[in-house]
Amino acid sequence: MRELQEVLQDWEAVIGLEIHTELTALETKMFCNCKLTHDDEPNTHVCPVCLGLPGARPVPNRRAIESIVKAGLATNCEIQKHSMFYRKHYFYPDMAKNFQTTQGPVAFCMHGHLDLEVTGRGAAERPACAFGEAEAESLASSSAGAVGLSADLSRMAGEKGAPASAEGALAGLSSYDTASLATAERREDGSYTVPIRILRIHMEEDAAKMVHVGGEEGRIGGAAESLIDYNRCGTPLIELVTEPDLRTPEEARLFMEKLRRIFVTLGISDCSMEKGSMRCDGNVSLRRRGDTKLGVKTELKNLNSFKALHDGLAYEICRQAEVLEEGGEIYQETRHWEPSRRRTVVMRTKETADDYRFFPDPDLAPFDLTDEFIERCRAEIPELPDAKRDRYQHDLAIKRADAEQIAGDPATADFFEAVMAVADRAEAQNVANLVVNDLAAYLKGDAAATLADAFAPAQVAALAHLLATDAIASNQASEVIAAMAGTEADPEAIVDERGMRQVNDDGALQTVVDAVLARCADQAQQYRDGNQKVIGFLVGQCMRESKGSGNPKRFNELLRASLS
Amino acid sequence: MARNIDALTAAQVSAAVAAGELSAVEVARAALAAIEAREPQVQAFLQVTPELALEAAERVDAARAAGEKLGPLAGVPVAVKDNMNLIGTRTTCASRMLENYESPYTATCVQRLLDAGCVPVGKANMDEFAFGSSTDSSAFHPTNNPWDLERVPGGSSGGSAAAVAAGMAPIALGSDTGGSIRQPAALCGVVGMKPTYGAVSRYGVVAFGSSLDQVGPFGRTVEDVALAMDALVAGGRDLYDSTAQDVAPSFAEALRAAEAGLDGKRIGLVPAFMEAEGLTGEVKQGVLAAARALEDAGAELVEVDLPHVDAAIAAYYVIGPSEAFSNLARFDGIRYGYQEPGCASLAEQSARSRAHGFGAEAKRRQMLGAYLLSSGVYDTYYYAAQKARTLITADYTAAFSQVDAILMPATPHAAFRHGEISDPTQMYLSDMYTISLNIAGNGGISVPVGLGAGTGMPMAAQLVTPAFADERLITFGAVIERALAGDGGSVLGVAPAFAGKGGELA
Amino acid sequence: MALTEDDVRGIADYARIALEGEELAEMTSYLNDAVAMLEPVLAYNLPDVEPTFHPIGDLSNVMRADAIEPVRDLARDAALGNAGSAREEYFRVPSILGGE
Repeated sequence: MRELQEVLQDWEAVIGLEIHTELTALETKMFCNCKLTHDDEPNTHVCPVCLGLPGARPVPNRRAIESIVKAGLATNCEIQKHSMFYRKHYFYPDMAKNFQTTQGPVAFCMHGHLDLEVTGRGAAERPACAFGEAEAESLASSSAGAVGLSADLSRMAGEKGAPASAEGALAGLSSYDTASLATAERREDGSYTVPIRILRIHMEEDAAKMVHVGGEEGRIGGAAESLIDYNRCGTPLIELVTEPDLRTPEEARLFMEKLRRIFVTLGISDCSMEKGSMRCDGNVSLRRRGDTKLGVKTELKNLNSFKALHDGLAYEICRQAEVLEEGGEIYQETRHWEPSRRRTVVMRTKETADDYRFFPDPDLAPFDLTDEFIERCRAEIPELPDAKRDRYQHDLAIKRADAEQIAGDPATADFFEAVMAVADRAEAQNVANLVVNDLAAYLKGDAAATLADAFAPAQVAALAHLLATDAIASNQASEVIAAMAGTEADPEAIVDERGMRQVNDDGALQTVVDAVLARCADQAQQYRDGNQKVIGFLVGQCMRESKGSGNPKRFNELLRASLS
Repeated sequence: MARNIDALTAAQVSAAVAAGELSAVEVARAALAAIEAREPQVQAFLQVTPELALEAAERVDAARAAGEKLGPLAGVPVAVKDNMNLIGTRTTCASRMLENYESPYTATCVQRLLDAGCVPVGKANMDEFAFGSSTDSSAFHPTNNPWDLERVPGGSSGGSAAAVAAGMAPIALGSDTGGSIRQPAALCGVVGMKPTYGAVSRYGVVAFGSSLDQVGPFGRTVEDVALAMDALVAGGRDLYDSTAQDVAPSFAEALRAAEAGLDGKRIGLVPAFMEAEGLTGEVKQGVLAAARALEDAGAELVEVDLPHVDAAIAAYYVIGPSEAFSNLARFDGIRYGYQEPGCASLAEQSARSRAHGFGAEAKRRQMLGAYLLSSGVYDTYYYAAQKARTLITADYTAAFSQVDAILMPATPHAAFRHGEISDPTQMYLSDMYTISLNIAGNGGISVPVGLGAGTGMPMAAQLVTPAFADERLITFGAVIERALAGDGGSVLGVAPAFAGKGGELA
Repeated sequence: MALTEDDVRGIADYARIALEGEELAEMTSYLNDAVAMLEPVLAYNLPDVEPTFHPIGDLSNVMRADAIEPVRDLARDAALGNAGSAREEYFRVPSILGGE
């Protein structure tokens, strides 16, 4: 198979994502008061409602509705005041009622978008030919009706046509505010920004967990029996469906990461792909560059890490290209990504009924959200990662990449802000360097440790100051961090106790430089002859001569001055 | 005081228990004895619950001994339709599917009656999953009409109606999806009320049609029905049912309002209903007797029109089966219910468990629902039915701008004989007068008016009021009852063949 | 257009109701009768009438507090007690794909 980047020169990949997020921050399930848990003993958090017992009836969790409204507002969706829950029927034991309670043609959140900033190496996946007019045409010809939609939505498409239906008010539904969407343009450094439209975010309930016994790797095929644990059944779940606006696996990965940062910041979910509280299915089809007709899509499952999402899509794009180039045909099917073998295989699934017999759930009253309800949700939305990043970048002059990283994690951002509350604003980049690199590296070994547990903001501010004033060298930070972690020790005292303070006095440093240059005349000459690299050797000699206490940066400058 | 338990109304039982004239245990024993004597012929119950009854009675007596305030229905025996969960009983819905299903929780409506001091004597027979109008579709046995054992008690809450008519319990709970309280009440000569949709919690009541089902009480007097209604709504809106609403417990008060007469009240009659094909002369005479009673009390009779009500049966047989298919999908033999042994695959196990667990009518309704909800068909029928619902509701709204209540038949004819109606679609027509209320959601009550001149069987009239004006049903119903019965008594009382049979109070 | 036995078999497969022997023919006849009885409702598919999905007036936005209520939790024995087959702490179903 050809490499991805090569394939994408000839073929355009049209990718849509369906992202399920469990609202793990809630106390209870979607329609009953059972505790939300991830790893308790099987079937210990079940009640008549989530076990689907005869006579049980659902009552929606207010915080779940608030959470999805917040998710919609944070992704620029239009919040639909009127919507209903529907029943989606399929016979499968992971759904205790043999129907899933989900939403109909009108979801709480419709027609949003996120601007995706693609930087670094991954930006090269999108070839130069996919910008400007080509991009606009590509977007226009890949609307939601055509690809990327699961069977339930295409089923609803029929309902939209029903004249004067209660939800046929759909006709009056706004569509995308195209004017507000960014246009993709490649910047000089290769990075670019593209808008990704979000068709809808709807509210539903999660299924039970099943264990397949006797089959290969716990898969369903060949299993002799299956065991069911209903603890997860009824967990509040929001499903976000993008338009097929993504064009590279990197964009898909970044979109997912961005969404994760937003949801984590909203405090609605822990968004753990590992634990399955955030899950992603990808739809992908190929078409020749310049074509407007969409190809046949496949649906990818088991994309349960950011890497799997990227690599699974990359593989599938290359596979489809190979099939098509050899004159073969792509079949609409669901494929399973096998990370260990780095391939996708056709999934053997339950018998899928395409006709889910959707209808409005008569046991659940409709929703007519009030302005007050929506505004209350809006007021509870904290500063979102993009805004925070921009603020750090503009107000504190922090490098955009660092700002993005800090802003993306609420705990990190909170800690950073606590440090900045006592630090010198001019030293913000030093603080950022510590937070992003040194402190994170120190904590890396211990997954449970947090910045706030290990360090006092004042310690970090003091350490940043030591670095900013060259009192210690950047490579000495880790030693100070190790010494101060979990203590109340002042970094300055640590530096002094250990004699780590750098000598910055030019007079003293010049003496060292002179001594080294006298000893290393050959190397000095090499430098003068144009070998710039030799300066490193000379700085090293100065450091040795000063027993490590001299400021290497200053040595470098003094050496260059002395040799010029 | 050698009285028989069946001579007492619920109001009299609770008063006697509260006054210490009777102990709740005495009452329970008498009720159980009456059941023992009468049940072999009536077969109203699927399960009789002596232990639960005596335990509950003992609690009432202990509470009284401790000087605690007793509930308004202290010591009153109640029969509970077998689609209502009650811990300590099986909830079978009269289906093989749930033959051995032990209730894991208690329905709100049942709990509220228990909280009011009621003593549960048993689970009443019904049409399987409430699909029917005769109780003949019970998977276990039919129930016989206490007025003529050859005839059906009506359905689906036939066991509840028969238990009350035979004097085995003064009150019973039923559920009404298309007439399943009002029709058997009419055929058995007792009072049966379907309150407005949402007035009584459905939590714990096995669903048939979620937008149609409503729980309500049976009694031999309007007063007993009023007391039961107060107990059912007294706890306020049930937080476990999203469609439940707050209703004031003002039914006993509404009963007293009957004493003031009906001056200034307007009662509607629907000419098309009174002239309808299939309405027997004796039923019509009974309704007219009720109309005279209302008129005599000062009400004015007014003709009203419900132009779209013809669509009710068709709309009902779209909405009902669609919802039933969905609600009964959960019975797949995995978590509960009949499980076919020895199946090699899950699909086979589900299909065979459902084939053998469900009776014929339950399968028919689910198949019809599965068809009506399918792609293409759904848009045609389901939307039309829900639009008909809008128009029928509007008809009632318009009619109630002219009148305070509408009087109509509850059923077109007296109780029919077992097996007399074999065609399922013919059977559906026995709900022609009751069904439109389930479509529109407002309440109705079936009140006995005497025995038919032709059949000698109980006759009834149905009163219908606007949504959440259910207390009027009690007021107007009490006026009819007082006119047609003796002093404060029941119009028809206990079926004569059973009155006084077993159940003497010591 | 009348439903054929094939149509009915398809519905039965979907609804997981195994029809045996005469049942398929009987069910087909019943469904055709029932659908014919529903005919009058089709006249109500009027463009200017809104459907009523919930007969509850203007009741809307019914929600509950996000609070745990252990009182409704079922003990595991009670949860599994009505199951046709259970294995240890799980509900059990036979092979989902069958013996393929």
